[in-house]
Amino acid sequence: MMEIKAYSRITADKMVVNGSTVYSSSDGENINLTDLYRHLGIDYPKFFKMDNLCKAGFLGAETIIRDAGMDTVTPKKDCDIVLFNSTSSLDDDIAYNNTIEDDANYFPSPSVFVYTLANIVTGEIAIRNKIMGESSFYVLKEFSSSIIYSVVKETAQETSANAVLCGWADFLNNTPDVLLMLLQRTDDGKIQFTAENINKLYR
Amino acid sequence: MEKYNLLRKILINYTDNIMEQLILELKKQIIEVLNLEDVKPEDIDSQAPLFGEGLGLDSIDALELIVLMEKNYGIKLSDPAQGKEIFKSVETMAEYIEANRKK
Repeated sequence: MMEIKAYSRITADKMVVNGSTVYSSSDGENINLTDLYRHLGIDYPKFFKMDNLCKAGFLGAETIIRDAGMDTVTPKKDCDIVLFNSTSSLDDDIAYNNTIEDDANYFPSPSVFVYTLANIVTGEIAIRNKIMGESSFYVLKEFSSSIIYSVVKETAQETSANAVLCGWADFLNNTPDVLLMLLQRTDDGKIQFTAENINKLYR
Repeated sequence: MEKYNLLRKILINYTDNIMEQLILELKKQIIEVLNLEDVKPEDIDSQAPLFGEGLGLDSIDALELIVLMEKNYGIKLSDPAQGKEIFKSVETMAEYIEANRKK
């Protein structure tokens, strides 16, 4: 049985970690991911090179992985990453299109292009945390706790992972929509990994 | 002879000044296009290697520098192998730009 050891939720205006709000945007504006990064006191210069989807996923993962006492140096062969969203890398696709749509100003940006794939976010998190288990990213029509539950459960069974970083990582129109959960095979009274509980944490 | 020496001195000062300005301009552009958020122009040693040590840039950054040269100075690198010499440091980049710029 897997349990939700820790979770983070990033929405348009705030970040919540394990039920506590750790950061809110001011004056009703959408959350600025660079401000959030600085607020969390993270030191990882590569963050600034990431696209918005990776930044959102990275910050969501960073908080709960650190919270669970996992470091960035120990290779983690028994940890999987399974993420989902509904807009794939559309936010970055639009940014890339902006660099090529004007014939008179046609300068395709290599650094924007490399993020025009949704699963890059799983790679960024895996590299940062030396997570070496299964890594996959699924694009769904919309948020579905039952699909997330089934796919993650099946993946963990197949790989026999002891831990899984999973959940929803989406970003479009300056709006993050992230629910990341760190699952572990423990029995210490935390939240059980079920479709119903995923839904509760997301809503 | 005195006039010649004076003119020479003025010319050298003028050239140095242009190079200094170009180096500063380049540092600002590099910081912007490579998203080196926590780096300031004065943090970049003009003669330090851009790749590996120094700023520690990677292959995608190299491609972005090639785009920068074309976009801002109209320079198209015909031979990618030239990049190794050109992108040794900000100073070598500035020298190449000054000698080959079309805008």
